[in-house]
Amino acid sequence: MKLVRLLIDRLYDIRALNKLKPLIDAVDAAMFGPAETTEGGPHIVDNVDLKRYMSYVIVALLPATLASIYFYGWSVLRIIIVSYIVGGVVEVIFAIVRKKEIHEGFLVTGLIFPLVLPPTTPLWVVAVGVVFGVLFGKEMFGGTGRNIFNPALVGRLFITIAFPAIMTTNWQVPFTDAITSATPLAVYKTTGSMASIYDLFVGKTAGSMGETCRIAIIFGGLFLIFTKVSNWRIPVSYIGTVFVFAAIGNRLAPGSIAPPLFQVLTGGLLFGALFMATDPVTSPFTRMGKYSFGILCGILTVLIRSFSGYVEGVMFSIVIMNALAPLIDHIVLMLKYRPVKI
Amino acid sequence: MLLRKLLGDQGYKTVKKGMCDEHPIFAAGLGICSALAISNKVENAIAMGAGVTFVLIATAVMISTLRSLIPLRVRIITYMIIIASFVITVQMFLDAFSPTISEALGPYVGLIITNCIIMGRAEAFFMQNKVYHSVLDAISNGLAYSCTLIAISVVREVLGFGTLLGISVMPDSYEKWVVMTMAPGAFFLLGIAIWISKTISERRSEESKA
Repeated sequence: MKLVRLLIDRLYDIRALNKLKPLIDAVDAAMFGPAETTEGGPHIVDNVDLKRYMSYVIVALLPATLASIYFYGWSVLRIIIVSYIVGGVVEVIFAIVRKKEIHEGFLVTGLIFPLVLPPTTPLWVVAVGVVFGVLFGKEMFGGTGRNIFNPALVGRLFITIAFPAIMTTNWQVPFTDAITSATPLAVYKTTGSMASIYDLFVGKTAGSMGETCRIAIIFGGLFLIFTKVSNWRIPVSYIGTVFVFAAIGNRLAPGSIAPPLFQVLTGGLLFGALFMATDPVTSPFTRMGKYSFGILCGILTVLIRSFSGYVEGVMFSIVIMNALAPLIDHIVLMLKYRPVKI
Repeated sequence: MLLRKLLGDQGYKTVKKGMCDEHPIFAAGLGICSALAISNKVENAIAMGAGVTFVLIATAVMISTLRSLIPLRVRIITYMIIIASFVITVQMFLDAFSPTISEALGPYVGLIITNCIIMGRAEAFFMQNKVYHSVLDAISNGLAYSCTLIAISVVREVLGFGTLLGISVMPDSYEKWVVMTMAPGAFFLLGIAIWISKTISERRSEESKA
């Protein structure tokens, strides 16, 4: 311990490394915790800060990550490492150029991003996606906390549109190496047959790495909600809307709209609703805003799944709603606090 | 410095303004529409850049010669007539000598008429300056526009089609970036380019202040 402390102090002293100060700060904080303390009141008497939020999300993502490693083998780990390293480099470059400290936000983005990719994604595509996500999803708007869109989704969206052949046709079946098949949603769209609920729950179907094992996702999501790191309103209204809308739609148009339980358990819905739509930066902050955000996300998801050329709509609907989130808040505040007419 | 001697002091300033400080796309944000639409292939970008540069130069000559004769109240209409006649020349030239490019550019050749660079320069520069400086301004603006277009189109064509000027430059296993062939790809590239150029120019102005 002392040796590390000494080494870091020595790094601070070297004049030539002054430019790399954000990097050294980050290492220092990771090893010993941040040195700064808030001065002056009022305080919340708790050590709530961005770091703790972020580490809770990482803990919540662990079950899904471990499940995907169990299902798809060590290549998952390779993709995660590439995502962390490449995205981290972009982050560090921006911190150095802008002379700001490195934010912990990337720890979450760097883990969520690989989890929503197909397990067979080539490593260079992963790198392109994470660079694009961090650059256009976050840094362009001024860094952590100022982004309009979820950076991981921006990256995923870009590579989906840029490389449709890689991103939409090759889905590895769990426990096997190279056999590719369609995802349950795609199978339903083309043939109308559905995967069994048990398979969907455990994760024995094809899909993105982190989204298949629903039990692990629900577990992690509940952990986040019970520790109050994420709010329950968005996931509940999102998933609830998908369920209700699919139940009604399935009655009216059974051919194109899948039954409710199947809708909820397939694709990235649970992962998206529990980990991505709840991102506090890109979702509304008012209570009514959160409900309407979730409801609109749900409607869009079912509509895109059933009536568009794309098989899965969670990613698109969350990004579209991200763009509308400030507007929703604005409307809610306007309705709630109407200026008094004189 | 040779350039400075060659063009005269004011001429050099005009060129420098057109090429860097008041770069039509990066600094003034003009001509974005055609820059997004036409930059998918290098071939098209060259044709478009040449067309716009030609129209700019010809308009510069015409307007700066006639500038004392043009009544101020109908000046915009006068610009339109002058610009439109040159644009039609370009269109007929393309139709006659390279129908394929003409087809690829589609309506965008005709839309050079509404290209803000030409109107903007006519209103801001050609009306107030003599022929020589106007032509210098037209050349520098046209070159700046063409260079940007070509630079973006090189990236887009190589990434999106795996070719350069129609010649395949990437290995067979190359995975094409479909997004680069669509308008969003141009948006992202142009965005990055403007971002970089703004950052650099801001740095520069801060340095000159300090």
